[in-house]
Amino acid sequence: MVSGFRPLTALPSVDHVIELRELTKRYGDRVAVDGLSVRVQAGVVTGFLGPNGSGKSTTMRMILGLDAPDHGEALIGGVRYRDLDWPLKTVGALLDAGAFHPGRSARAHLTALAASNDIPGSRVEQVLRVVGLSDAATRRAGTYSLGMRQRLGVAVALLGDPGVLLLDEPVNGLDPEGIRWIRDLLRGLAAEGRTVFVSSHLIAEMALTADRLVVIGRGRLLAETTVAELAAGGDSLEDAFFRLTAQDTDYRGVGAS
Amino acid sequence: MNGYGFRHAARMERIKLRSVRSTWWLAVAAVVVMAAAGAGVGLGYRSHTPVATAAQILNNSLGGAIVAQLLLGALGVLVVTGEYGTGMIRSTFAAVPRRRTVLAAKVAVCGGAALTVGLVASFAGYLSGQLAIRGTAIPAASLGDPAILRAVVLTGVYLGATALIGVGIGAIVRHSGAAIGTLFALMFVPMIVAGLFGESGIQIGRFVPLLMLLNSIAVTSPLPGLFASWISALLMCGYAAVAILCGGVLLRYRDA
Repeated sequence: MVSGFRPLTALPSVDHVIELRELTKRYGDRVAVDGLSVRVQAGVVTGFLGPNGSGKSTTMRMILGLDAPDHGEALIGGVRYRDLDWPLKTVGALLDAGAFHPGRSARAHLTALAASNDIPGSRVEQVLRVVGLSDAATRRAGTYSLGMRQRLGVAVALLGDPGVLLLDEPVNGLDPEGIRWIRDLLRGLAAEGRTVFVSSHLIAEMALTADRLVVIGRGRLLAETTVAELAAGGDSLEDAFFRLTAQDTDYRGVGAS
Repeated sequence: MNGYGFRHAARMERIKLRSVRSTWWLAVAAVVVMAAAGAGVGLGYRSHTPVATAAQILNNSLGGAIVAQLLLGALGVLVVTGEYGTGMIRSTFAAVPRRRTVLAAKVAVCGGAALTVGLVASFAGYLSGQLAIRGTAIPAASLGDPAILRAVVLTGVYLGATALIGVGIGAIVRHSGAAIGTLFALMFVPMIVAGLFGESGIQIGRFVPLLMLLNSIAVTSPLPGLFASWISALLMCGYAAVAILCGGVLLRYRDA
C-alpha cells in the first residue's frame, strides 16, 4: 500500500485496461501517431518507450481527449475519456510539469481540480503530504523548482485516487532521490492492481521501473514486450533498444571522428 | 451522483478565479478608476458656469467606464487565455472533458463577478461625483430618480457584458496579448470608423459599444438616433453571446 490509498482489489481489473485501436494523428503531412494498437494491462507498470518525437506525448494527449485522433480510438475500460462520469477518479494524468497557472498556489490548484470531480478537501491535504509539498502548499507554483513542479503534477494525478495512471516523462527534472521516489510510488500503485502507463525516453530508468514495455518509433508500434524479453537477446537493454528503433529515429548525430 | 456537471465545473472556476492576483488587481483597478474619474469630474464642475445640470454630472462622472471596460474586458480574456498560455487548460480539460461545460462555467462565474464589480464601480463613479459637488449650487442627482438609477445600473451591466465579450474572444483567439489587442480594437476602431461618416455615422454608431456607453447607457436620456439605454445594454449582451458561441464551437474542434 502506498500511503493510505484504498486498495483496488475489489474492482475488476478489466475496468482499468487502456486500449488503443489503430490510433492515428496527423499534423499536416507529418504522421505523429500511425495506426497504434496497444492494450495496457492493470497490475503492472507499463513503460512507453521511444526516441524523442516518436509520438508518446501525442498518444497520451489523445487518451485524455485533449487531442482528437484522425482515425481510431482510445478507450479506458471500454469507455472514451470524454464519456467518463468522474474523469479524475478514473484516470490520473501527469502531462508536463507546467499544466498549472504559475500565479496560483499548489493548494488552490489542487482544490480547484478537486471541486470539479467532487473530491473532498481532505484528499487535497493527503496528496500534498504524499508528494511532500505540504510546507510549500501556499506558495505560488511559479516559484517552484522543476522537481517541485513534477511533484505537483504527480499530486494532481493521484488526486482522485484513480485506477489508471498516465504519466508522461515523470522523472524529468527530478534528482536521484526523486527518481527513486517515483519508481517506488509507481510500483506500489501497480501492485495495488492499478494500471500504470509511463512514458520515457530513458531505457535505463524504464528497466528499473517497468515490467512491460511498449516501444514506438515514428508513431508506429515497434514492440510490445517485457523488460526480461528485451534484455534476453544477449546484448544490453540499451543496445536492444537502439536496434529496435534504429530505422525510426528522426534526428541522430554521428560520431565525432 | 451520476458524474460531474455544470455545478462542479462552476465551483472549480470560482476557486480558480479567486486564487490568482490578476483578478483582484483588475477588479480593484476598475473600481478605483471609476471613483477617481467621478471625483475628478465633480471637482472640475465646482467652478463651472453656468451651473452644470444633474444629467451632465451623471454622464461625465460615469466616464471612468471607458477605462474600466478595458480592465474588466481583460479580466474576461485572461480567464480563458491565462489557461492556454500556462498549460493549465490541459489540467482543466482533463478534469472536465466536456469543454462547453467548462466554457459555460467560466461565463457564469466570470460574468457574475464582472457584473458585481461593474455595478460597484459604476456606483463608486456616481457617488464620488456627487460627493465632489456637495455644497455647490449644482443639483444633486438622486438614485431615487429612475433615469439616474437606470444609467448607473446599466453602466454596470455594460461592464459585465464587456468581460463576457472578453471570455468569448479569449476562447476564439487563445493568446493573451492577441486577444486583449482584439478586444481593445473592437472597442475603439468601430467608433473611429463611425466618426468618419459624419452625420450619417449615427446609423452605425448606435451599434458601436463605446458610443452606446457614452451616449445611450451612461446618460439620463440617449442622444437622438441612438437606441434606448436598455436596448443598448441588451445589444452588448448579444455581442457577448455571439463571441461566446463562436468560442464554444471552436473549443470543441480544436486540440487543447
